[in-house]
Amino acid sequence: MVKTIQLGSRLRYPITITKLYKEPNQPIKKKEALFQYSFKWKRTVGDNIRGETWEAEETTYADWSSPSDGELKSWKIRVGQEISRDQDCMVVKESCSHDVQFGGLCAICGKDMTEVNWAAESRDMDRAPINMVHDQTHLTVSETQAQKTENALQRRLLQHRKLSLVVDLDQTIIHACIDPTVGEWQKDPSNPNYPSVRNVKSFQLDDGPRGVANNCWYYIKMRPGLEDFLKKISTMYELHVYTMGTRAYAQNVARIVDPEKKLFGNRVISRDENGNMYAKSLQRLFPVSTKMVVIIDDRADVWPRNRPNLIKVSPYDFFKGIGDINSGFLPKQQDLLTSSAATTNGGLARIAPAPAPDKEDSTTVEPPLEKALEEQEKTLEKQIKDRPLQALQEQQDKQDEEAERASATPENDNTESTTPPPPYHRHQVLQDDDRELVFLEDHLTSLHKSFFDAYEQNSSSPSSLETQSIPDVGTILTNLKSRALSGCKIVLSGIVPIGMDVYRSEIGIQVASFGAELRSSVTRDVTHLVVSSQRPRTKKVRQAIRFLPKIKIVNQDWLAACFSEWKVVDEKPYLIEGLEEAQKKLSEKVQDAEATETVSDADDTDSGNAPPGKKRILRLKSPPRVRFATAAVSGNDDDDDEDDSDTGGDDDDEDGDMDDELEALKPIDEDGQLSPIDGLKTFNWGSADEELAEFLESGSDDDDEDEDNDDEDVEDDDGDEDGQATTAQVTTVTSITTTTTTTSTKRKADDDDGEEEQQEESSNKRRKSLLGGPGPGLSSLRNELKDEDAEATTAAVAEAAGAAAAAAAEVQAQAAQDAQDAQDADDLDKEFEELDEEALEADFLAMDAMDEGDVQEQQVNGDGNENGSGNGGVSENG
Amino acid sequence: MFFLHNLERRVTLHPSYFGRNMHELVTTKLVKDVEGTCAGDYYIIAIMDAFDVSEGRILPGNGLAEFTVKYRAVVWRPFKGEVVDAIVFSINPHGFFCQAGPLSIFVSSHLMPEEIHFDPNATPPQFTNNADMVIEPGTHVRVKIGGLRTELGEMYAIGSINGDFLGCLQA
Repeated sequence: MVKTIQLGSRLRYPITITKLYKEPNQPIKKKEALFQYSFKWKRTVGDNIRGETWEAEETTYADWSSPSDGELKSWKIRVGQEISRDQDCMVVKESCSHDVQFGGLCAICGKDMTEVNWAAESRDMDRAPINMVHDQTHLTVSETQAQKTENALQRRLLQHRKLSLVVDLDQTIIHACIDPTVGEWQKDPSNPNYPSVRNVKSFQLDDGPRGVANNCWYYIKMRPGLEDFLKKISTMYELHVYTMGTRAYAQNVARIVDPEKKLFGNRVISRDENGNMYAKSLQRLFPVSTKMVVIIDDRADVWPRNRPNLIKVSPYDFFKGIGDINSGFLPKQQDLLTSSAATTNGGLARIAPAPAPDKEDSTTVEPPLEKALEEQEKTLEKQIKDRPLQALQEQQDKQDEEAERASATPENDNTESTTPPPPYHRHQVLQDDDRELVFLEDHLTSLHKSFFDAYEQNSSSPSSLETQSIPDVGTILTNLKSRALSGCKIVLSGIVPIGMDVYRSEIGIQVASFGAELRSSVTRDVTHLVVSSQRPRTKKVRQAIRFLPKIKIVNQDWLAACFSEWKVVDEKPYLIEGLEEAQKKLSEKVQDAEATETVSDADDTDSGNAPPGKKRILRLKSPPRVRFATAAVSGNDDDDDEDDSDTGGDDDDEDGDMDDELEALKPIDEDGQLSPIDGLKTFNWGSADEELAEFLESGSDDDDEDEDNDDEDVEDDDGDEDGQATTAQVTTVTSITTTTTTTSTKRKADDDDGEEEQQEESSNKRRKSLLGGPGPGLSSLRNELKDEDAEATTAAVAEAAGAAAAAAAEVQAQAAQDAQDAQDADDLDKEFEELDEEALEADFLAMDAMDEGDVQEQQVNGDGNENGSGNGGVSENG
Repeated sequence: MFFLHNLERRVTLHPSYFGRNMHELVTTKLVKDVEGTCAGDYYIIAIMDAFDVSEGRILPGNGLAEFTVKYRAVVWRPFKGEVVDAIVFSINPHGFFCQAGPLSIFVSSHLMPEEIHFDPNATPPQFTNNADMVIEPGTHVRVKIGGLRTELGEMYAIGSINGDFLGCLQA
């Protein structure tokens, strides 16, 4: 090993070489003087006390010592040469380059590398800084050695047409837990979970956690199909294990997954050797080149430096709610694509303790190691003490029991026969239905193929094993992935935690990495809106509803499926359940959301989104409605009639076809312009009616008063109905406005309307529960509702009192007439759907302007102004 | 190399153990504390006997009794150049690790005979000369210690199998 040695920066330049002690080809030793040099410097001499000092130049001679052992090959300096700065001085053939060191010893010459002396500027330890061995931390190598080793590795892999695959353990290929419940279930064939846990392997660790968790059993469930997967993959990849568990844990798991040590061999690295508790790095194993390395891991955030090489798999969650038992050290994950099934399954989240310690704030500051260790132990202890699985099963049993009690006894037999393994009518909590590995195998296969295709293109001759022409598998992987969702324009809603930059969130990065375009707001060209199934009513959903046929509103499982299948999977199974249906179910939630929502929605003329207060205005504006009615009817009469049957039972028609509604609306669209009611296309009128009814008919705290009002209304209506004959034309064109009156009237007037009454009762209840329920947005909502109710009441009272007044009478009469008609002929409901809300509103405002003198109008107008951006009208509020 | 070494150690005893068999307890504690540890340059393999247990002195403050025990122990001090038998436990492309009692020794691939090379395709990976010499985890090897370094309670050694009668031991 020939090395050129420099003079070093510590000398007092300029120096003059005065004598060379050694000739070329002579052996030299460390700290041995090799040449003599001289330098000049200034010394202060004279009498310090009297101040008579001056500087005298002095010349000093010094020896230069050898920093290394070996043989002097040649000098780069000569006697008499004046040297002004650091430069090369000699070429030495070192006896040992200390390329491999073990625990501060050179593994080749056996010298102590930690020794520091004056002769050398750098420590010998620094010659071998790289730690690239799986199972040792004390063995370090130099860059040249690392390069050599890795080149040999790459050449060998190319020869075998293989790549390296770094495999994570926890939640990627296995799922581990230490809940002793699993052991009990394994011994109990009568347990419903018995078939699931039968194949769960277990082991004990000698150096396991201290305390309660000491000597506990680790239960390891392999991902379904793992054996085949590894067997097939190992023909294309050389497998490495890289886990955040301890070494003993990793080895035990490896022994379970690969009993013959054929797959992983000894290529297992754990957190004990990782050198970093919080991140994994490919450079730890492949310090020179990661061109041929692929990673599979369930967490992307632990691979900050190696994202291009990473295939993120969906976490395997067999023991529900346990999470990753070795993730205590890792920063908590902020945004996970939790499966909707898991979250809807009887409040799992509530029961299962978070796998990561609660107080951990390692995203910003890494907690000290001892603390992390302690936290980890606490978490494990908690698992043993709390037995989350048992609790889960108990909960499941309870649910089953309830279900059983609820369902008739004959059904019992059926279910029992359909699920033969559990002899009792109990459902298991542990489901073994994961299919991730199937897709993963496909991806890895295609990646392998693309890599070697690219390699063969690059290399001059297919058989040569030049390492220069190796393509970067990271680039290939990125290319492959980016094709998966290309063309999709995706908006996320309710998935990334509020306050987090969606583009920098884990999911955002993933969406982008699959080639989809991530948008922050819903626009016309967005193709998919991904909504959290827990919170499927968001502002964005409502914005998206108007583009519904084009935009697919799906839940997060769709995204997860796309991520694991690397293609745009069929959206059908993931579509948010018939939006109308959801709308009905979640009408309360919508109100809630709206109450807290910004007004910007309503500003959008298309969105047709209005605060709940809006509806009441409409209730009072009968006169304009009449005017509008004639216009509308003249235009759309035919269509109205056609669709009568469809829209008849509006209240029951919650999950009715959206298409029907669209059909009904088409004529308005046909003029080619953007219809102002675009937003209504997909609107569910049934629930709008219902909700409106709730608002106006049932009071929040003053139900009684409202009831009174209703009664009065009805009385009035009845009277008017008989006395005043309104034209049939007018009555057919009933606006949403009157729906309230209609419903209430219906109830009173119609004798056999028990159904309706029931429904109203339920809606009342729901409303009450909403109002009574906890939640930050609710108090404000409640207040709002109260105010509205009060207003409504006064208005209604005024109406009642002013029955004699011609205007009021007219209004009431019309309302009554409408209501009556609605009952008599079901076609009214259809009219509701057909009505262009905005046109109506505009009409109404125009009317307002005209009839300024009218007291009632004024009030209406006032209401309108108060609520400002009422354009959207009721449409969105359903 | 093994030595019989006279050593001295201070052993403390909790007051609850004070009694007739105190000296016995002291010896037991000594054995428990000391045997199998690395004391700097050497390992204390076994204690032969504690030939002198001093009178106990009560430590002011906590009431523990302190005994000065003189004992004789078998110690092992590995020397540079010493040849030891060891068992291989880990193999990587740079060399292999083997264990000689408490001491783990690294044998670099540089310090192996020319014909021995690393074979990563074997299961498990091994060093072999494609003939009689196969070094894999569990193999008994005879190595010559080439260098030693001690840290507190720890000793590192590097070894060589490049020499006559070194390398695989035919069982």
